[in-house]
Order: sequence, then structure tokens, then C-alpha cells
Amino acid sequence: MKFLTIDTTTKVTALALAEAGSVVAEGFLHTRKTHSERLLPMLDQLLTAADWKLKELGFIGVVRGPGSFTGIRIGLATAQGMAQVLNLPLVGVLSLDALAWAGWGRSELIVPLLDARKHEWYTAAYRFDDMTQRPERVLPPQASAPAEWVLRLADMGERILFVGDAVTPYEDYLHQALGDRLVILPEYVRLPRGAYTVQAVWQKWLADPQGERVEPYYIRKSEAEVNWERKFGGKQDD
Amino acid sequence: MTEKRRSDILILGIETSCDETSAAVLKNGTDLLSHIIASQIATHQKYGGVVPEVASREHILHFREVVGQALKEAGVDFQDLAAVAVTNGPGLVGSLLVGVAGAKALAYAAGIPLIGINHLEGHIYANFLMHPELEFPFLALLVSGGHTHLVYFRGHGDFDVLGHTRDDAAGEAFDKIARALGLGYPGGPQIQKAAEHGDAFAFELPRAMLEPGSLDFSFSGMKSAVLNTMNSTRMKGIELSVPDVAASFQQSVIDVLVRKALLAQQNTGAQTVLLAGGVAANALLRRNLAERLEERGVKLLYPPPMLCTDNGAMIATAGYYHYLDRDFAPLTLNAVPGLGLV
Ligand SMILES: [Zn+2]
Repeated sequence: MKFLTIDTTTKVTALALAEAGSVVAEGFLHTRKTHSERLLPMLDQLLTAADWKLKELGFIGVVRGPGSFTGIRIGLATAQGMAQVLNLPLVGVLSLDALAWAGWGRSELIVPLLDARKHEWYTAAYRFDDMTQRPERVLPPQASAPAEWVLRLADMGERILFVGDAVTPYEDYLHQALGDRLVILPEYVRLPRGAYTVQAVWQKWLADPQGERVEPYYIRKSEAEVNWERKFGGKQDD
Repeated sequence: MTEKRRSDILILGIETSCDETSAAVLKNGTDLLSHIIASQIATHQKYGGVVPEVASREHILHFREVVGQALKEAGVDFQDLAAVAVTNGPGLVGSLLVGVAGAKALAYAAGIPLIGINHLEGHIYANFLMHPELEFPFLALLVSGGHTHLVYFRGHGDFDVLGHTRDDAAGEAFDKIARALGLGYPGGPQIQKAAEHGDAFAFELPRAMLEPGSLDFSFSGMKSAVLNTMNSTRMKGIELSVPDVAASFQQSVIDVLVRKALLAQQNTGAQTVLLAGGVAANALLRRNLAERLEERGVKLLYPPPMLCTDNGAMIATAGYYHYLDRDFAPLTLNAVPGLGLV
């Protein structure tokens, strides 16, 4: 089963072509250009280079958040548009779940940190499970202030492996807070990659080979909604 | 099912620049096979205006259904389409990006050309849908929530912008006054309705004409004058007549639009004038301008109200003429929020 994965939830445009769980071609762009400008040209180049036709695809995988709101929508609109024309199932995965695959086989707690702006992270925690051979979630996805999150992790008394685009700007901070319990992988391993998305998507497809209606996963409400609720009350959760 | 021949040119038009998610399938430039508009007005009403992030979220939720519905109602497949045309500016960047990314994916997967359309051009081309026999040259007065432009067209893609607003767009001024009067959003239709029972000459308001001969517009001073009038009336303890304020303000804006359009017509000698944009649905503007142009033997054309607000049909129509010119966009096409008419 051939498939394509799209991840535009961070500043990295990460694309991959895969067959079953194996990556056949991978695209990684971490430049100044926007996803909007580089996504389809890059996909076109990958398909040409791999000598693949769109019509050979069995489904499309897409990262639906959390991350940049605009990035989430560009990825989803693109995946959705192609799926609609080609009549293909869609599989949506979370950016954090995909990144956790960067910690494959590790014994530490695996913690993806994504830039959530406003001095916060989108984060969660995983543990690699030797039985299932995959990272399993131990703390759910959330938007968290660094101090709060680090405190909570420290309480768990384990060594912690950090991955994600927010690691670089917070490297010193993490060192100070966690000392020798901190494990940081090189940047080429810890940034979002098509290969990680492929693993997350393929596992999900194996569990439920049907596809689904994929919606964005923002974690956060829009500022206008938050302000409105603060002013007029209303439900806190959806 | 619609009858289609191999030679038919079917364009899928997509519009997501502000608060409407819309798609339409147009055959041969004149035959609108389907037209779907998912309006977000109800969603934004509680905020008193369009919230960009909320608008973008709504677009991505409805995009697929709107496109699917447009094809279904037209009775066509993606394989039958000649091209996909999409608004790529001006507008709200997050909203535009949903349409642009989606349209690119549709065109790429279907293996057909992509066409980027300037939203302002789209508004003007809504007239071609109703009047395909329309001849150049003509003058277009584009009045909407975001824009107030006078444009002289010599041919497809061959035009000069004669004047535009230096501050607020006419529709924007309507929105702001409507909010001040507690009439709600969107302001244009609310002002028009409230004005029906008002005296258009109850309040004396300025008609900002700028320097002699200028075809530019300025509505912010007129807007401030209304707000000041409202304040001083209240200070004096006089009860404010909302219909009178609405009618007076509407009349002052329309007077300026009509005078500038007449001046531009005189300068260019255009024998046809088009109205376009959301405010083109204003009945008083249509009537006043039509009367004055008629005195000069000049024809006024305007689209039906449904084609005045943002819609995919106008984008498909503009797209059709770009298609005839083989004016296609690359896969790098991006959203340009400040895209001008050049
Ligand atoms: Zn518009």
C-alpha cells in the first residue's frame, strides 16, 4: 500500500512517500519560504524523482496539529483537496505523536516540545514500549507554560528526552531546570521529519484501514473566542 | 445531469478571501451550473465583525463540502473541469490560504491548470456573467467592505485604476456606523433597512470631495461627522432617530460615490458603467446612479445581489477569461493579502 504524508504544522515542510511502513522518498525544507509556496512544488519533485504517480496512492496521511494554525490548515487543505479528487481515504495524526517516533527504542521519557507562541509549548509525554515497539502516550497533548511543565516532568523522577522545534530556543533553560536528567538529540533527529509521520500514519492505518474525516487539532481556541467567553461566560470545553 | 460536450469549458471557481466559503461551476463563461455559498455571518455576528482566525477555521471546516456540493449540483466530475480558478488576494491571509492551498491541490491532483484571480477583478467580472455581450471600454465602480475603486477597462486585463479610497472603504464606513447605531453586522444591509423610514436630510453631513478633479475617495471624515452628530445630539438630551442618522449617512456616502462616478464618466467618455462589490447591492445607490447616468444616455449595469457579495461564481467568470488567454498560475501561487489592481 503506497501513501503520501504531509506535515506543515511547524516551520519545517515535511513530506514523505512510503510503501507500507517503509519510506521511499522524503522531503525536508527548513527555509524562509512559506508552506504555501513550497509544498506542492516539493511534492511534484518528490513524485517525479521517485517515479510515482498520484493515482498509485492508497491513502493520504496528514498531520492535523497542534502547531501553527495557518500551517495546520495549509496541510489539511492540501491533503483534503488531493484526497477529494483522487477519491482517497485520509488519515490524520497529531504532530506530537509523530515526533515521539524520534525517540524510538529509547528508555527515557520522550517529550516533544513545539513552539506554541506566547511563551508556551504544545507538548505531551511518551514512553517507548518494548512490547508494542512504539511510543505510547503517558501524558496527553496540551499547551503548557515551560515552568509548569518542567516541574511536572521533574516530579516523575526520570531522565527525559526532548524533541521538537522548541528545544533549540529553550536548550539553556532545560539544562538549568533538569541538569543531568536532560537528554537532547541532535537537531537533524529532533525536528519534524516525513519519516516520523510515516510511522505514526502507518500504525494508525494498520489499526483502522478506512480513513476518516480529518479536522484540525488546534488545542487552543481562537483569541476572539477566549475573550468572548471571558466576557459573556459560556462553556469552557467543547 | 447537465448536457456537456467535449468542447465545453468548465471552470471551478473558489472564493475564501473573507467570510464566505464559496465554489461554483461555470460552463463557457455564461452558464452557471452550480453555485454554493457557505456564509459565516452568523458565526461572526456575536463578535460584531469578521474575526480573521475564526474565519480561517470556518473555511477549512467547510471547504471540502462546498467544493463537493458545487460539483455534485453541476453534475460533473473533476475530470470534466478545464481549470480551477481561485481568489489569491486581496483579503484575509489565513482565509485566502485555505482556498489557495485547497485549489492548488485540486488542480494538481486533477492534472488541470490553476488560475489565480484578483478578488477585485472577480467582483467586476460578476457583470460578465449577467452580460456576456458587455463591450469594452467601460467604467467600473467597485464598492465593498474592503474597497472603493473607480476602474477604467479597455479590454480583458487592460485597465487603469482612476481612483480609490484613501482611508475607509465605503462598506467599512457603513459597518462602523451600523455598529455605533447598534444595528449589528454586516452594516450595509442594516443601514439600508434602517434608512427606509428615515429622513435623508435630517442631519447635515459633509460630502468629502477632496481636491478638485480628484477621483479618490475619503470616508473617514464623513464617518467622524456622523459620530460627532450622534454625540452632540445625545448630549443635548435629544432622542436620536436611528432611521434619520442611517438615511443621512447613507445619502452622504452615495452622493460622493455618484459624483465621483459621474466625473470619471465625463473624463473617460465611457458609455457603460458597471457597479460591483457588496455595496453595489444598495438599492438607493443603484437608483441614484442610474438616474444621473440616464440623463447622459449612459448605461448602468450591475449584478443581482447574490453576485454582489463575495462568491465563487464571479471568480469562475474571471477565471474563464484568463483561461481563454492561457493565463495560468504556477504551483508556487501564494495568497497575497494586499494584492492590488495593477
Ligand atoms: Zn469582496
